[in-house]
Amino acid sequence: MAHSLLLVDDEPRIRRVLRLALEDEGYQVQEAANGYDALAALRREPPDVVLLDLMLPDRDGFTVCREIRRSSDVPVIMVTARTDSHDVVAGLEAGADDYVTKPLVAKELSARIRALLRRVEPANSRQADLLEVGDLRIDVPGAEVTRDGETLPLTRTEFKLLAELAGAEGKVLSREQLLSKVWGYGYFGDSRIVDVHVRRLRLKIERDPASPKHLVTARGLGYRLVS
Amino acid sequence: MLAYGLLALGLSTVLAIVTWSVVSDYLTSQRTSSAVVVTSDNAAALRYGLFGPPQPCRPARERAECGSPTLLPGVQAMDVLNSLPSTDAAASMLYLEDHWYSLTGQPSDLPPDLIQTALAGSVVQRRIAVNGQPVLAVGVPIGRQGEAFFEWHPLESLDNTLRTLKITLIVAAIATALIGLAVGRLASTLALRPLAELTRVADAVARGKLDARLEAENDPHLGGLARSFNQTAADLERRVAVDARFAGDVSHELRTPLMTMLNSMQLIQNHRAELPSVVREPVELLGDDLDRFRRLVIDLLEISRDDGGDRGSREIVRIADLVRAAGDATAGREVTTVEPDAEGLILQADKRRLERVIANLVENAEDHAGGCKGVGVEAGGLGVIITVDDAGPGIAVEDRSRIFERFGRGETSGRGRGVGLGLAIVARHVQWHHGTIQVTDRPGGGARFIVELPAKIS
Repeated sequence: MAHSLLLVDDEPRIRRVLRLALEDEGYQVQEAANGYDALAALRREPPDVVLLDLMLPDRDGFTVCREIRRSSDVPVIMVTARTDSHDVVAGLEAGADDYVTKPLVAKELSARIRALLRRVEPANSRQADLLEVGDLRIDVPGAEVTRDGETLPLTRTEFKLLAELAGAEGKVLSREQLLSKVWGYGYFGDSRIVDVHVRRLRLKIERDPASPKHLVTARGLGYRLVS
Repeated sequence: MLAYGLLALGLSTVLAIVTWSVVSDYLTSQRTSSAVVVTSDNAAALRYGLFGPPQPCRPARERAECGSPTLLPGVQAMDVLNSLPSTDAAASMLYLEDHWYSLTGQPSDLPPDLIQTALAGSVVQRRIAVNGQPVLAVGVPIGRQGEAFFEWHPLESLDNTLRTLKITLIVAAIATALIGLAVGRLASTLALRPLAELTRVADAVARGKLDARLEAENDPHLGGLARSFNQTAADLERRVAVDARFAGDVSHELRTPLMTMLNSMQLIQNHRAELPSVVREPVELLGDDLDRFRRLVIDLLEISRDDGGDRGSREIVRIADLVRAAGDATAGREVTTVEPDAEGLILQADKRRLERVIANLVENAEDHAGGCKGVGVEAGGLGVIITVDDAGPGIAVEDRSRIFERFGRGETSGRGRGVGLGLAIVARHVQWHHGTIQVTDRPGGGARFIVELPAKIS
């Protein structure tokens, strides 16, 4: 079955041409011209991926992204004009899973979407379906993390990041490795994506996110997950 | 400033010399006249003791002379000398009736001509040295031809006083000169500080630091100059910023139509087989130029990025890995050779910018210079040396700096295809990393681009 996309952009010509090109790539595309319509469409017919332009007329893309996150763990790809530190980091902090820059082409976008929709691949054949790290229980096929019987509200990308780190069994994974495993980027992926996701993940899985016990930084090397 | 010091030195020297000559003349003449007075008093007392009270001379006739006084009967010259009141005189000597009578002092210490002058009937005084001590010798006639009284008075205390005065004056002159120098320096610094500030700020602006401003706007003397200077600098900064932003803004505006065209073209090319044969070639041409257009817009956005305030992100990068990844990916084959000594080198870098450096150099070699003949990474220079070789005709020496300018294609080397921003971006990003770039001839033909970056061993 074709994956469905919600395309949020205030420029009608961009919406038209991206819809045509993405439909040609095999996606089902819904359009929204502003943040209000986007949230309504999200409730009416939840898509597999949201493509969100940061420049919207009624409210900025960051706000829309935060509002989407309040009710949904759907992957969000934001579209930015520039790769300035501020825009990208702010968008990722607001809950976006990945970003693309204009001018973007449907083919490249399609590669990003496929990477986000890919399910967690087991690191090795011996890997159990249920991983335990400290007080966290990670159900890999069910894409669910519980602590003391309570489900933690992770997005799909956050879950993939956590599962990859758990699968490494305490070994350090570099930012490049994580970018490749979780987002499907090569050497030149933007490692700020990893850093912001680690920050977001800590807020959810750590009892004291300011001094993390499980998801620790290996300075200059990367990150690892310890019990 | 030096002039102030010299002026102070000159003035104080003149003052010291004048003071010295006036005071020393005065003290010496005071001393001399007091010595002469003392000796004359003693001579008068001596005369009284030797000859009795002076007889009034009443010559009866015009040409008659007063007679010489005669010694009192039974008078002893030494007794009379001894009866003189004690004075500060160091020696008292009497020449009477062809004999020397001396209380203290040796008549032989007196200069003969001084003795002769006194004996001839004149009061005489002269500075002489006795046993190495400075004294003032005074001779006074005592009334009869060929007889006189001599004394000398020590000048040591006067000399000491004058020496002290001399030292004091010299020290005072030097101190005054130094103080003058210091005051002059202080005054000139205070007076010239705003000018020094102006020089510094103007220099900063000239070197491209366009936000440098003068702080002297409230200075009563320089306020006007400072205000107009700051105004000019602000205008310049605004102009430069507007110029720089223009390219960025234009490209920004081009993005939406570009996105429409690129995606439409992709759709058309996906269905190329369904196109009537007559439009296939035009569509191909359109696609090629559209791609070139896309790269131009991306390059323009890239080069106006710094002006747009993108400060980039720095992270620790293993340079060999980065060059290998960027070089091989751009060429589409393995072109990178890393020397063993360069494997462990790291640097603080913006990966995206460095990728553009390597990709643009390799792309330049591939598209315009007969293909990339290899990318090398070795330790040396600033830390790491990256070379990109091509098989083109090389770059003429006179074009070697121009090719790194925006749209600065070489005139004689003929590599004019392409939009001419790629190498400008390379130069800019290398500079951003505090590195250097140059181009030379590759041994065996073609050009070699050499990038040096400040890398260190991890």
